[in-house]
Amino acid sequence: MDPVITLIQLIISGALVGGIYGLIAMGFVVAYRNARVFNIAYGQLAVVGAFVAWTFVGSPAAPRLPVPFAVVATLAVAVLLGLVVEWLLFRRMIDRSQFATFVASLGLLGVLQGLVMSVWGTKTLAMAPVFPKGPLHLGGIVLAREYLWAFLVAVLLAFVITLFFRRTRLGLAMRAAYDNQAAARTLGVSVRLSSQVAWSISAVIAAAGGILIATVGGVSMALSELVLVVLAVVLIAGMDSVAGCIAGGLVLAVGQNLVSYYAGAYFTGIESVFSMVLILIVLLVRPSGMFGTKPIERV
Amino acid sequence: MKRGSRRQADYGRDVALIGGLRGWTALAVLLVATVVLPQLLSVTDNMKWVTFLNFTLLTIIAVLGLQIITGMAGQISLGHSAFLMTGGYIMAILATKLGFPFWIAAFLAVLATASVGVLVALPAIRLKGFYVAVVTLAFFTISQHIFQNLSIAGGIWGLSNVPGPSVGPLKIITDTSWYYFLLLLTAICIIASASLARSRIGRSFLAVRDNEVTASGLGINVPGAKLRAFFIGSLFAGIAGVFWTSYVTAVRIDQFSLWDSIWYLGMIIIGGLGSTAGAVLGVLFLQLVRQVLHEITASGVVPLSINFSAALTFAVYGLAIILFIAFRPHGLMAVWQKLKTSYKRWPFGE
Amino acid sequence: MSTSNIILHSERLELSFGGIKALDSMSVEVEKGQILSLIGPNGAGKTCFINCVTGYYRPREGQIVFDGTDILGMRPHRIARLGISRTFQNPNTYPTMTALDILLAARYMHCRAGMMECLAPFGRSRREELQSRRSIEEVITFTHIEELRKKPISMMSYGQRKQVEIARALVMQPRLVLLDEPMSGLDDVMKEMVCELILDMHRQGMTIVLVEHDIQTVMELSHKVAVLDHGQKVAEGTPAEISRDARVASAYLGRNEADGQQAACP
Repeated sequence: MDPVITLIQLIISGALVGGIYGLIAMGFVVAYRNARVFNIAYGQLAVVGAFVAWTFVGSPAAPRLPVPFAVVATLAVAVLLGLVVEWLLFRRMIDRSQFATFVASLGLLGVLQGLVMSVWGTKTLAMAPVFPKGPLHLGGIVLAREYLWAFLVAVLLAFVITLFFRRTRLGLAMRAAYDNQAAARTLGVSVRLSSQVAWSISAVIAAAGGILIATVGGVSMALSELVLVVLAVVLIAGMDSVAGCIAGGLVLAVGQNLVSYYAGAYFTGIESVFSMVLILIVLLVRPSGMFGTKPIERV
Repeated sequence: MKRGSRRQADYGRDVALIGGLRGWTALAVLLVATVVLPQLLSVTDNMKWVTFLNFTLLTIIAVLGLQIITGMAGQISLGHSAFLMTGGYIMAILATKLGFPFWIAAFLAVLATASVGVLVALPAIRLKGFYVAVVTLAFFTISQHIFQNLSIAGGIWGLSNVPGPSVGPLKIITDTSWYYFLLLLTAICIIASASLARSRIGRSFLAVRDNEVTASGLGINVPGAKLRAFFIGSLFAGIAGVFWTSYVTAVRIDQFSLWDSIWYLGMIIIGGLGSTAGAVLGVLFLQLVRQVLHEITASGVVPLSINFSAALTFAVYGLAIILFIAFRPHGLMAVWQKLKTSYKRWPFGE
Repeated sequence: MSTSNIILHSERLELSFGGIKALDSMSVEVEKGQILSLIGPNGAGKTCFINCVTGYYRPREGQIVFDGTDILGMRPHRIARLGISRTFQNPNTYPTMTALDILLAARYMHCRAGMMECLAPFGRSRREELQSRRSIEEVITFTHIEELRKKPISMMSYGQRKQVEIARALVMQPRLVLLDEPMSGLDDVMKEMVCELILDMHRQGMTIVLVEHDIQTVMELSHKVAVLDHGQKVAEGTPAEISRDARVASAYLGRNEADGQQAACP
């Protein structure tokens, strides 16, 4: 095959995955900004979402519900999960330090891991197709149809979420609360409500991202490694930039695709190493990320 | 004023690791108990419990190191088990592939691990809070893949036939001899860690943890303090990793997982952040929980699959961390202190 | 004024944050053993000046010389080791440490035990620990915080924190102390106590730079007063001269109050 075509194909297919990464990272950022939790268990939320979707959609051999119903049902479960997590755990920790909520999310990581393992086991499960499958020929480039669909859905969702934070009253109020929680409280922004909304949105994005990734690669515990991807994306993008996530996702996924194609034979798992090295470089060169704002430090 | 002048008489008491008659008595009891324990256990059963104790001791050494990095200096590390991995692998490579004598290999491996700790800290020192956590996480992932790809490290199969230590003519092979050896090693590590807590370096860690800005005003080189914390912390981890590898006579990638890093963090939270005794208590607590869960599933009283038993451990560990951070954020140490005060003040309540 | 007597000398400091000038050609000299006060409205650049001297901010231009050493651009811990210590305006700064912890930590630069020595329960580290404890007890008595030794700083009252903060600065045995509003938010009794403490420090030969809002206290305590506004020094002189200065009086003191204010003590 023509090396130039290969390169273009790698870039485009990487970019398609990057859109999904970007979407998933947005959910992490929403929880970090609006619920003030550095949620290390975020990848596990995606895992739960994917397994719930599998339960509703069914395996390729035995599909259950029609896809649209199954997806809606999964997202409903995700909202419920987000609310339960908020209600049982993080509401009780609203005034605690970020270290404390981080540790709580470590605990959550264990609990969700245990939950998934005991309900669904540790095997990789194939899911009935959510999107139309098959190759798509564009010139000399071959793309998988489901990647394209997943990308489009991811971008659409990302757009909707950005609109929510930019245009709606509640979204704007939540952004205000991010800048100054105490001030927002005096303005009548309910911390509890914004925390609930943040957790629901975060969980829904995680689940949606989990489904999108699962349509491509199957449902398994390995999805929990999404949290590494998410961290790489948010650090590249800057911890406080929702829109920057998409760009960060594109950079990461395209890079991973190229690295694993050209160097994967020499070093297994090079794409994970690539993302981690990328993290280190970004942190060293520009700790606030490519799109983040750097707060002025006061003594 | 009066209290002040009486105190001036002897600050040695405040500095001492063990205070008063009660302290020494408790220590003597503890010492006798730990020495006799394997004898008692070997009467009842096979060596299962001694093995359990040995892993617990190794974990204590590792967690003492994390307590220094995270508990004392406040640098959240998600990569602690990667330090054990580094120590273990370097030990195995030196001893099996390059033919170094045991103690030289062990010494070099521990030193190398501590140096790697400094290397990891270099990008971390300019950063704060979660960024340090992410750097250490990145370190974990990177080192895991490096060891997996390194041919001298045996690829995914790892290395085996790692030798055990010998002290003079004494070869440490049996579980019981390992127990006494590790007990001694752990005791040394505990004393070192407790001494650190009441030294200038240890206090500089606390100052950095509490407030980096004011710490530099005390003449403390903040990046330097973080580097030191990572050096000492990974030194402990290196010791644990070296002897872990030597104890199980092999090293493999999945021997030191990311979950271990997470549980180590959980142990210092449950025990009490920043305190040496807390680290020990935290390890004992979670190790006992794990063993009890294991016993329940193994005994077959409750019919559970192996898979479910593993899942149960995850869930229970997670739940324990959540409950402690939510309701007892200062850990078992604070619970213990509280019990002690209410015992002293009885019958007057709190 | 002989040059050798000047312990701190800052010349034409320029500092700005995103276009806003925080310090504008700031020049100040502090004589050995003196109490110099900086006064001025909020945002005049008083704390900025302290932050520059202690290395937290790096002025764009200018020079700061401490006892013959150019300290501009040095990192804070280096400056502290030269013998400059400071207190912070908001001493709400140690979430977990007790008074004793922070005072012992403040002995850091007077101890020499190396990293490995600190892992041993005997030897130099322990000797130094006992030594530190002795000298800390002196400061504890000096600053009247005997009752606070083992109290976590986060559980202390505002006034108690300020006391500990001063004690912390003293434990470092500095030659120059910069006190950033040590009396703000204190009641009269506590203020009196802090005043006494500052005078005691002066008697022990320390050089003191005091940032304070309470004009009366400043006038009573200081040898020299510098008035700042918008990052510039608008007036400087003895308390008597400052209170006579019409511009200063109208701006900060209020005419009536300024009349007849003399340097009553020391």
